[in-house]
Amino acid sequence: MALSSLFATFPLPVPKMPDTSKSSRFLPIRASAAAAAAATASPSFDLRRYWTSLISEVEGELDAAMPIRPPESIHNAMRHAVFPGAGKEGSAKRAPPVLCVAACELLGAPRAAALPTAAALEMLHAASLVHDDLPCFDAAPTRRGRPSTHAAYGTDMAVLAGDALFPLAYTHVIAHTPSPDPVPHAVLLRVLAELARTVGSTGMAAGQFLDLAGATALGEAEVMQVLTKKFGEMAECSAACGAMLGGAGPDEEAALRRYGRTIGVLYELVDDIRSASGNGKMRSNASVLRALGMDRALGIVEELKAQAKTEAERFGDKYGDRVLPLYSFVDYAVERGFELQDAAARP
Amino acid sequence: MAAFQPLVASRAHLSPLLPAPAAAAVAATSFHRRRFSAIVAAAAAPTVTEFDFKAYMGERAVAVNQALDAAIPAGEPPAALHDAMRYALLAGGKRVRPALCLAACGVAGGREAWAMPPAAALEMVHTMSLVHDDLPCMDDDDLRRGKPTCHVVYGEPIAVLAGDALLSLAFKHMADVSSYPADVDADRHAARVVRAVGELARCIGSEGLVAGQVVDLEMTGSTEAVPLERLEYIHLHKTAALLEASVVIGAIIGGGSDDQIERLRKYARSIGLLFQVVDDILDVTKSSEELGKTAGKDLASDKTTYPKLLGLEKSREFAEKLLSDAKEQLADFDKEKAAPLLYLANYIAYRQN
Repeated sequence: MALSSLFATFPLPVPKMPDTSKSSRFLPIRASAAAAAAATASPSFDLRRYWTSLISEVEGELDAAMPIRPPESIHNAMRHAVFPGAGKEGSAKRAPPVLCVAACELLGAPRAAALPTAAALEMLHAASLVHDDLPCFDAAPTRRGRPSTHAAYGTDMAVLAGDALFPLAYTHVIAHTPSPDPVPHAVLLRVLAELARTVGSTGMAAGQFLDLAGATALGEAEVMQVLTKKFGEMAECSAACGAMLGGAGPDEEAALRRYGRTIGVLYELVDDIRSASGNGKMRSNASVLRALGMDRALGIVEELKAQAKTEAERFGDKYGDRVLPLYSFVDYAVERGFELQDAAARP
Repeated sequence: MAAFQPLVASRAHLSPLLPAPAAAAVAATSFHRRRFSAIVAAAAAPTVTEFDFKAYMGERAVAVNQALDAAIPAGEPPAALHDAMRYALLAGGKRVRPALCLAACGVAGGREAWAMPPAAALEMVHTMSLVHDDLPCMDDDDLRRGKPTCHVVYGEPIAVLAGDALLSLAFKHMADVSSYPADVDADRHAARVVRAVGELARCIGSEGLVAGQVVDLEMTGSTEAVPLERLEYIHLHKTAALLEASVVIGAIIGGGSDDQIERLRKYARSIGLLFQVVDDILDVTKSSEELGKTAGKDLASDKTTYPKLLGLEKSREFAEKLLSDAKEQLADFDKEKAAPLLYLANYIAYRQN
């Protein structure tokens, strides 16, 4: 199969800027002093507190949505997939829900409009991870510091847990989003279609397929496509759903989509760089860095950071301080100025 | 696509499956039989065109296959993933679930075309459950509808992904307003679709289809005798849930009243269980060639079935009872519009594969 032909219609062009970035210019990744400086730049907004409070709200929402009912085995397996283990290693950052709620709140809509969709994003994310960890894929024995779902419950149960988490996400959005007021049914349908498209054959499943086909070994364009499909699309969906639920106009929705997609790739790329330079947890995505080279990877980080800030700036005039979470995410994605782990308490 | 079995155009077909019902069963069912032969007679009266079930199913299958073909983004990469989805989805099959959905929409007062997007979605979900069910870690089947299964052709990882992608496509296709014809009731359509999507998600999740598969898995490999209630739980979830979704979603999109929707739900539960009872009977009475899948598998794997628990004759009586229960729910609907559902129930009862 000619892999290169697969990428023909995928978007996210990475702008060809002069590659002047050098590792030495990329101090923020390793210097926490820069993070402190960034924090003082926006004194009215504390990202760590915002994020931490949202994690506990989302986890509460997930906990209530997933009681242990008969048949208990499948519900236990589903909870295993969605909830992190105890301790630092096992916590989940819940980035998609935070992005979704932030986009909704940016537009001045109530958090309650976005929370059910925020929880659904985590269910869909968990479903794809459960299938991604299966023996026939990555064969990952652990996830978030404890046995992966198939290791704990068996391969058959893991397949079914994923299959059940997908519909649970849609059920949850429909049952708990305040609709038709303030969220009209037509908007709810757009959100449902967006969620389903994102995890489908042209979204995250495409990313998993390309990864499986060895696309990350090929070159920059292929690596960026895999990152975009596997991580950018989920973040784009999170921001887009938040935008729809918050009542965004077409231009605002489009800008938040671009912002989400950019920040999703940025976040993942920085993760890969950190693990390659020994600063983060061990990952299997070293091939991304091998294909790009460290200097080029750092260059792309700078480009994506600039793109995301440009998109966020569009909202500054109209929404004032409510745009600050968007700025803060960009800085956090690059600098990782604080740890969220200890904040992610289990419900 | 394979020709449809000659179904229930004549009563003569009923005899092989239901040789000699016990006296009590005859007494219990004769009332419904009479009532329903009246419906069939009315449909066949000179003023009304006789209902041609074979043609009805043939036309629906063609339309559904076209909708399925158009729904897969075949021009978009990754091509191999879309190929695998098409392989599983367009492999033929009787399209019973879409037909139920379309017919229920018509019975509830809508135009059948309104229900085509959900009808296609139901077939996608059904196909996805078959693709995952056939995986080596599940039932480990090599043959489906007479062809190699998806994972045999494309490999396990792509089969898992193709199933996930079909599930997502089902919800995307169903929720997307642009999937529907322009003449839907503009004021009520969005609310109906939201309710219908919720119905689909509930019926296939951990309290529906997946619950049935889980309990089935837990039963397989256990040496304990399986009680009848457990067997019924499995079938009501594993098979009936999706048939229930098909009928109820069609009724919702068609604008049916809550009362109509609940009667059609009962109809669907009966034919759902009936579907599986008949499957169990066919597994012990038909060859692999006739079924298009491995026959005698239940016996070989010592799986609990209705014939094993009740015996073949009692299983046939139970099927007859379920059929009359289902038909009873249709009694108060417009006779002409209810004809497809009536014939579908008969078809499920008397199919030969």
